[in-house]
Amino acid sequence: MSSALIDLKGITKSYRQGDLPIDVLKGIDLQIAAGEFVALLGPSGSGKSTLMHILGLLDRPTTGAYFLDGVDVAGLDDDHLSALRNRKIGFVFQTFYLIPYLTALENVILPGLYGQERSATIRRRAKEILQQVGLGDRMDFRSSQLSGGQQQRVAIARALLNDPAVLLADEPTGQLDSATSKEIMELISQINRQGRTVILVTHDVATAACAQRRIELNDGLVCTD
Amino acid sequence: MTVWFALIEKLRLTFRVTLMAFLALRSYRLRSAFVIAAIALGIASLTIIIASIDGAERKADEIIEMFGPDAAFVLGGDISSRAVGWRGLTLTYNDVQRIRAELPGAYLSVPMRSKSNITLRYGEQSVEVPVLVGSTEGYADAWNWPLAEGRDFSAEDVDGGAKVVLLANGPKEALFGERSALGATVYVNDLPARVIGELRYRGMASMGGSIDDRLIMPITTLTQRFNMDRKYVRALRVKFSDPENMPFHRENLRSLLRNMHRLEEGENDDFTVLTADEILKFITMFKGGLVAFLGVTAAVAILVGGFVLANLFYLSVTERRVEIGLKKALGAKNQAILLQFLVEAVVLTLIGALFGMLLGMGMGQLLARLGILEILFSWKIFFLSLTASGAIGVIFGLKPAREAAALVPVEALKGV
Repeated sequence: MSSALIDLKGITKSYRQGDLPIDVLKGIDLQIAAGEFVALLGPSGSGKSTLMHILGLLDRPTTGAYFLDGVDVAGLDDDHLSALRNRKIGFVFQTFYLIPYLTALENVILPGLYGQERSATIRRRAKEILQQVGLGDRMDFRSSQLSGGQQQRVAIARALLNDPAVLLADEPTGQLDSATSKEIMELISQINRQGRTVILVTHDVATAACAQRRIELNDGLVCTD
Repeated sequence: MTVWFALIEKLRLTFRVTLMAFLALRSYRLRSAFVIAAIALGIASLTIIIASIDGAERKADEIIEMFGPDAAFVLGGDISSRAVGWRGLTLTYNDVQRIRAELPGAYLSVPMRSKSNITLRYGEQSVEVPVLVGSTEGYADAWNWPLAEGRDFSAEDVDGGAKVVLLANGPKEALFGERSALGATVYVNDLPARVIGELRYRGMASMGGSIDDRLIMPITTLTQRFNMDRKYVRALRVKFSDPENMPFHRENLRSLLRNMHRLEEGENDDFTVLTADEILKFITMFKGGLVAFLGVTAAVAILVGGFVLANLFYLSVTERRVEIGLKKALGAKNQAILLQFLVEAVVLTLIGALFGMLLGMGMGQLLARLGILEILFSWKIFFLSLTASGAIGVIFGLKPAREAAALVPVEALKGV
């Protein structure tokens, strides 16, 4: 057990490419406490994407232990990992990943559908969160009718629906112009100020400036914390 | 409690996933339309096939009904050795009389001879009639063929070779229309004859035309006036008072005929006895072939629909990788993904089934109107179509749906 929200111990990840094993992560030890705003920095190939996937329970480490909110996730099967992602982790992606055949509101509701709450509750909360991110008047729009910034706001609202312990943002401003990027980063900072743990994955030092803590990865190892 | 809770949760997930499946199908309209069309064609052929098999069955029932469960029909010559040597004229007028007098349980025995292609004239009008039948009193009864007007032949008509005829509906309509033909004098190939009765419309197709295209005169008149030999008859019809004992009557009739024809033990019959049972056997055999042939056709048509479905769904899974990966990242379990694709497949096949049934019924009606096919629609079609299409949806949708469910989220989110 550990008091940290996220506790990584000796995490490694290796792939096989042909006969050559490639070690992407070479032993990561990392603790993140509840309420922190952490930026995960590093050049491409540094292993930060892989680390983010492991943190987000989308991928499993080769060796090492990962405690999320006190739970050892190493032994969990796919279905339990799905359930845990559903409750504990909110994802924001570089390319938004809104489902094109659903409206903004329906996209925000989506993670609720796989959980256990009543539809009416989910719907009410989805509307509230969309109001909070400033899209109260765009709920019935499809992603094709929204600007990039608006789409990312919908994605952030979606990530917050199930009140997750961690917001994992993977290059959230990578597809946006600088003005919109600032707005989105302001929104994410605000979410952190409300007490939510935020992990921001980026290669852009300026974007990472919002975070209180910066973790730099290089060649599969933490080089500065 | 927890079991109930789990069940409710499953149902709720199913409901939510179903709604989402509908939204997806609406947005992938063209692809959905293709699947629906492919399934609809298969189900349409299934509909027509079932309807025509049922129609054939109804037709068979009509034939049996018309033939009569209490009757036997005897043809000269042995049908089974027809290829070797067809001896058509083996039944004699004497056989008819002996059956009348001696066969227990038989209350009617009517002989038949026929002459084909007769010109029937009335006043200025004339009509070609394919069949002129020579028979005796009891003709209408023997064929369960009620008279619309007038009377059947009497024994005196037959004994005296009276120049009288019964008209079936075909020639009657052609020459008299709505008017009554009773008492009129018509010319049968120049032989003047008085119409004494009209047979009711029967509306059955028989070999070489409608059964209503015929006229009937006493067998004596036919043989005398048209120079035919007076000893033999082509066929005869026997009716029995208790249809429950038909197998017994049939054997009795057979041994009486064998005896009269002096056939030795081991010699083949020189006649053929047909009863409703035999006809039923023949029809059943024929229907078996029909069902097998059409069944294969329908199965192929539906399988083709299934392959179209499977192909388009593979395409769909590839195209919607990101959607699948995202849903998994958001907490969808493998089952939820599997369920969505299965629901999409089954919804499409069921819609296809509904369109297919409509299409099949339309085409079936058309074929029936054109007289090509006898059809009968029943609820059986509805249930069979829905079952078949639902099964196709599950069977052919399962593989692509499994593939979707098995996608690793990290891989899927990278896109293609």
